[in-house]
Amino acid sequence: MGAPQTAMASATDAAPPATLRDRNVLLLDLSKSMLAPLPDAGAGRGERQKIEVARTAVFRILQDAAASGTPFGLVTFTETVRVPVPLGEVHRENLPYIENLLALLQPSGRSAVWDAIAVGADLLRAGTQGVRGNLVLVTDGWDNASARFAVRPEPNAPLKNGFNDLVPYVLPPHSELNLRIVGIGSGVERDRGVDGAAMNAFLEQLRNRGAELGLAGAFSFQEVTTGSQLFTQMVQAFLDVGYDDDRPLEELHPEELAQHAASAAKALKEPQQHATVARLRAPHPTGASPPDPNYMESPDLEIGVLSTTGGAPAYLRERYGPLGEVIEAYLAAQYDRALQRLNESRDVLPPVTRLYWQARIEFAQRAVVEAARSLLQAWTEAEKLPPASQAPVIRRLALLQARMQNDKETETLIRFIDETEHRLGEVDASARERLMDLLARLMELRGTYQLTRLAGEGDLQDAALRHEAAVEDVFGRLQDARLEFSSAGPAVEGALDFIEICLAEMR
Amino acid sequence: MAEVKVTTRARRPASGKREPKAPSADTARIAVVGIPASGKTTYFRFLAGHFGLNLPILYVPSRDDGGNLPLYGDLDNDVALEETTYETTDPTDPEGGLETTTRFYVNRPMEDRKKLWVELSAGREDQGILTKYPLPTKFNQFVEMKMRFRYGTPEDPTGSRPMELQTVDEAGGIIADYFSYDRLWLEGGEGEVTEKSCRVIPHFDSWRPDRRDLWRRGLTLLGRFVHDADAIILFLSPALASLRDQAQQINLARGVFRYIRSREIPLVIAISKADRLKDFYGQVEQSVRERTFRSQFDTTDFLLRRDGAGMGTILVAQEGRGISTKEDVFLISSAVSTGEGHPMMVGEGGQEAPAMGTPTLGVPVMVNTTLPLARACERILAKRSTKGA
Repeated sequence: MGAPQTAMASATDAAPPATLRDRNVLLLDLSKSMLAPLPDAGAGRGERQKIEVARTAVFRILQDAAASGTPFGLVTFTETVRVPVPLGEVHRENLPYIENLLALLQPSGRSAVWDAIAVGADLLRAGTQGVRGNLVLVTDGWDNASARFAVRPEPNAPLKNGFNDLVPYVLPPHSELNLRIVGIGSGVERDRGVDGAAMNAFLEQLRNRGAELGLAGAFSFQEVTTGSQLFTQMVQAFLDVGYDDDRPLEELHPEELAQHAASAAKALKEPQQHATVARLRAPHPTGASPPDPNYMESPDLEIGVLSTTGGAPAYLRERYGPLGEVIEAYLAAQYDRALQRLNESRDVLPPVTRLYWQARIEFAQRAVVEAARSLLQAWTEAEKLPPASQAPVIRRLALLQARMQNDKETETLIRFIDETEHRLGEVDASARERLMDLLARLMELRGTYQLTRLAGEGDLQDAALRHEAAVEDVFGRLQDARLEFSSAGPAVEGALDFIEICLAEMR
Repeated sequence: MAEVKVTTRARRPASGKREPKAPSADTARIAVVGIPASGKTTYFRFLAGHFGLNLPILYVPSRDDGGNLPLYGDLDNDVALEETTYETTDPTDPEGGLETTTRFYVNRPMEDRKKLWVELSAGREDQGILTKYPLPTKFNQFVEMKMRFRYGTPEDPTGSRPMELQTVDEAGGIIADYFSYDRLWLEGGEGEVTEKSCRVIPHFDSWRPDRRDLWRRGLTLLGRFVHDADAIILFLSPALASLRDQAQQINLARGVFRYIRSREIPLVIAISKADRLKDFYGQVEQSVRERTFRSQFDTTDFLLRRDGAGMGTILVAQEGRGISTKEDVFLISSAVSTGEGHPMMVGEGGQEAPAMGTPTLGVPVMVNTTLPLARACERILAKRSTKGA
């Protein structure tokens, strides 16, 4: 496994040191023991193979990496260590191929845990800057196949002959490394779970070395003994799917785009006729930040809108557990089954997610009163969410409400904001921030516009002047954004076109 | 109606005896700006008809002075209208350059009077041109138009003085872009709009290179002449079906307001095609049919409260900031239509000439066409006298 090390070292030498959070490498155990079942508590789901659960984790991490644009690499290991995904940016369009590749990887053989960690460190090696980035190891086993590296059982104990000490190799001077070990299964009994003692000894030595060298970084070990523990993390999500008549902005004829923008502007201009708009919060730039790759530590809900072009998304169950099953049934128009699964999962799903889906399914069943009641409860739950999660969840609730009320203007506005935020996830962070800022300012024009409607004869000119000044301010920023991001691609251009027409309509 | 002088147009080389006289130092220049299909061409051609052919103009509301505005054709200069066409040699050739051709419209008789209308009112569809923003009106050309006339007030000791009306025709998109995006504005009469600043125009980078070059040159030409302009007449059309065109027009208007404030030059607004506004058309029809009808139509009230290109709030905001909605905004129609694309013609007796049956002599009906021009001239001279004082 020397080649990757050399390649990575030369590639990273030339570049300035990356920030710690920018680079992530996942080490996945593919030894035969990963085929063993992992008990799954609750919901009558029975047992699942460890590899199945581990793949779920990998899918999730991959998806987060694609969404955030952070470089990601994957190392798999049996007695041989391989690098199926070299460290680099994961593009959303490549995700299905990587996921297919993962699905094809079948466990066999033994575990070279220490050698795999060394290869992972090689991927993150940044020349004289040491090892920099995040390493996540997912394993169920004991090291029984490493040929190059070993860990001392005690800090000063001798190493086996011919082996290198893993600790200084992984943590050379100037490093800034986070290592997180996810151990699947209990390690009390050999071959039934991860070797917790060895892992803790390894981490202890890393901590000591980090302290000696004065290095920043964190090292942790977490045992996952049931599939539900992982699911509990997985279902901390608010997921939605689009509606049948959704059409992306870039598919619209310019005149259709203008009609959409005019329609959205109408929702902003006439809040009395579009009550739902009052609930919307202006999207804040920081609200659009990519999700934390360390999903298990993220306290916020994972929020997303799944693309349903071509049917239900693949791996829906694997990625999203019980919520995935609800969505799958909903997309298959099996509404009773969807409600049943929703009820069965009520203890593990966040309340806002459960109530939203209840409303959505009931609405699909044309049970309008029940749907309205469920949605009302969902609104209450949404108010309790942390601020970062609240705005996008509220928009999804508002979209459902607009559909229930047949309020096309509000629906258009929310779709545009949602779609823009979603599509901007793939563009440069500075462009994303500027666009979201513009969008927020566009939303705020509601206020000055209303003043022109409410002003009396004497105050009208003053109110109109203030509104025009606010519009001019946004338009000036829009021009600067056009100049700065002229080559940023159709997502940015489409959003700017939409905002420009909306601005013209705010009169 | 008295004897009607009819002219035709002739294509002449740029050199020769028809070449117009250079404008004197006293000349004032007025730029006419508006989006594609806002009525700039019709305005120039019919106004030239007014000066050259003595075509009558109807005023709504009726004017106390009977419409005796101090505007005259430039008799010292037999070229009433000058059009210079800038055209790419081959639109498909990315390396292609620009060719220029100048046409002069002079006083000549025309045998068939109906042709006058046909020539002037050829619809956008007949011309086979693109009007959808952000494309150029014609994909491979734009036209610089100059009309010469005189303005003078009886109390002015020098009599009338030469004036020039300018626009970049067939390029409403260029005009709209230039004023909408102030990052394109030139700071001097010799400046050049750069390729880099053109990126403020939506999707500019995706255009064909020759179109980008043509557009940039058009922006430069426009930027230079509006920089030298003493006043601007902004054309707003209330008859835009496309929401995209409406948005373009509003952005242009807001840009023009910014421009006149930063340059401190007078602005006059002409709501063109006013006959498309139902209330206003009613006034026109009654004025034509009942010669004694004296309209008391309240233009300001109509513009701000009932209709007028959806500009009510914006006009209120601009009140006193370089314009007065009472004195600087006019509803005009340079060629009143009967509603189905047919021109409304009036005969010798002032009655509407029948469109069907035996061809009758008649002249097209123009409404308020000279008002914005006269007001612009008035404001220019007022500004100059203030400066002189």
